[in-house]
Amino acid sequence: MRITDAQLSKLLDMPSAQALKSTLLSRHMIPSLNQADQLQRRLGELDATPVVARLGIVHTYTSELLEPWLQFAATLNGLTLETYHAPYGVTLQEATSTSGLARHQPDITLLMLRKEDLHPALSLPISTIPAAERGEIAGEFCSALVSLVTRFRNAITGQIVISLLPDLNAPGLGLYDSMAGQSEMRWWNELKGAIADAMREHINGVTLLDMEQLMLDSGRRHFFDHRLWYASTFPFSPEGCFRFALACSDIAASLYPPRAKVIALDADNTLWGGVLGEDGVDGIELGPEYPGRAFIDFQKRLISYQQRGFLLVLCSKNNPQDVDEVLREHPHQLLRHEHFVAERVNWLPKTDNLKSLAGELNLGLDAFIFVDDSDHECAAVRHSLPEVEVVQVPSRANEIPFCLDSLARLEITSLTAEDLEKTAMYAREKRRKSRLAELTAEGGSVDDYLLSLEMCMTVRVDSASHLPRLAQLTQKTNQFNLTTRRYTEQDIARMIDDPGTSVYQFSLADTFGDSGVVGLAIITRDNQGRADIDSFLMSCRVIGRSAELAFLSRIIDCLEAEGVETLTARYIPTRKNAPVANFLDDAGFETMENGDHRLELEKRGDGPLRDLPITIEGP
Amino acid sequence: MSDFKHLQEIIAATLKIPAGNITESTLMEDIEEWDSLGHVHIMVAVEQAFDLYMDVDDFAELTGVRAILDYIDAEKGHA
Repeated sequence: MRITDAQLSKLLDMPSAQALKSTLLSRHMIPSLNQADQLQRRLGELDATPVVARLGIVHTYTSELLEPWLQFAATLNGLTLETYHAPYGVTLQEATSTSGLARHQPDITLLMLRKEDLHPALSLPISTIPAAERGEIAGEFCSALVSLVTRFRNAITGQIVISLLPDLNAPGLGLYDSMAGQSEMRWWNELKGAIADAMREHINGVTLLDMEQLMLDSGRRHFFDHRLWYASTFPFSPEGCFRFALACSDIAASLYPPRAKVIALDADNTLWGGVLGEDGVDGIELGPEYPGRAFIDFQKRLISYQQRGFLLVLCSKNNPQDVDEVLREHPHQLLRHEHFVAERVNWLPKTDNLKSLAGELNLGLDAFIFVDDSDHECAAVRHSLPEVEVVQVPSRANEIPFCLDSLARLEITSLTAEDLEKTAMYAREKRRKSRLAELTAEGGSVDDYLLSLEMCMTVRVDSASHLPRLAQLTQKTNQFNLTTRRYTEQDIARMIDDPGTSVYQFSLADTFGDSGVVGLAIITRDNQGRADIDSFLMSCRVIGRSAELAFLSRIIDCLEAEGVETLTARYIPTRKNAPVANFLDDAGFETMENGDHRLELEKRGDGPLRDLPITIEGP
Repeated sequence: MSDFKHLQEIIAATLKIPAGNITESTLMEDIEEWDSLGHVHIMVAVEQAFDLYMDVDDFAELTGVRAILDYIDAEKGHA
């Protein structure tokens, strides 16, 4: 919808980029170029120090007309863009380490490709190709794309986003397309799936941006402008520009720290309509009638965020037994106790509850997104805990289900086994804590508890099998992280291949279950018996179980076998990594004059790295 | 606001140049920033600002402020 002058002046008064973005999206408002320009200048006044993102664009159709929209979309996400548009039509020339693209050092590279670039048969309608040959063409298309993207992957760092321009027109077989065996749409959808599989398995740091999915939000006629296509080989209408630019910018923004990990949810007028304490379990709005239906949809959406790997916690001012009754017994409640990794249902200030939730989950407050309908609660959290991102639930119920959709921080560029298992892992951690409490109550020691866990650590070295997870660990781990160096999948892949660098990882299993890959160390070494710890980190989920010492001791075994005599390391303090401050001292390292730490491997003797309550396997 | 003032603002904002550089007699060739891509931007912006639907064949004719103003006048007359 176009924006009227009256609406524009309201938009110009919005307090933040995120508030503006979510209003534009939830009301389907598409600014004109000049309105976008005015809004962008206004946001520039609000946020004087936006993060700079470097974007590279390789294209086989006009990309430059997208530029103002890319800038506007970036501003909505708190970024400023420095864009490099490769020369028109040039593709392979840019895939070298000395190209203009590589020199631009992009954080994100957007490939704007047309289908016919990848296979000449696609200049004719797919329906003309005999069924027997179609599979072969799909295979050739996929390999051509994999080989093109691989060349870029080898030449540049940063995330690569592939976009394939949809057909500007409806399928050639018209309304019958969906019924036809030779359906173009079906062929293309299956091919997209194959491309996604190939990228995920063979090339790291790549996102296939599904342009058809973006187009659905507008519809083909609103997304494209045939006039510009014929006049300038530029396909998008202003609305298409806005949506495409926003999707690219959301992917870029999702890569910047701090990463969101937790969605903290209010209950009344957030998970259901009405006030539980006043309306009672039977009186709240949650069921097949509007507005209750909207709250069911919001709960469904929240379960989807959990499937993306975000944790849900409850933070509600209510009587705990009332909320418990809804969570257990309300016939339309979808979120049950098992969906929440932690709950605070009490009458304490929400700021206190958020702090204690952060403590319980071992996460920083900047990993929290707080979702609440109340002006007062939102303002209190914004004021006292500015690192928490606050989303105020809209007052119109119909806008609630998708009120988190505009948050770039909730977009993901990978989905690991650990992400899917996360909630279950926190549930196991809760059981471990109650085991510790029981043992302590019976007079047992922490060592008894650790032994009772029957922990088994598996260490792997230079294994690319969990590459996305290893990169994710460097990007997300803030507390038990010696040097806080952030690496991309490509960085890690390069270090795995480098003979002078070893990448160690560990997973930890115990009687309660398997944690998955939770620790990473990167060690560089020279050929004079010296090695250095570039990175040493461990997920907060396994802090307090001596796993760091077991991991280090196995790494040292490996280094000794390789002839290393001296291991150096340093602690680079940050605002958050105090938990690792004493690790090197505890592990027996001595402090050198320059502040770095050193361990002579032969002197490790019977020190702290022996007799650990963990069985270690590999490498 | 007169159509000229409005158009002047739009061209200036689109090309990111001072409004004072644009007069009623300015032609595309007078302004460096008004290149072929800039022209498409201006056409899209004019269309949105004046609520018009412009024919792609007209893009090539509307290469000056006067021509665009006459076009807007004529389109308004039709409406």
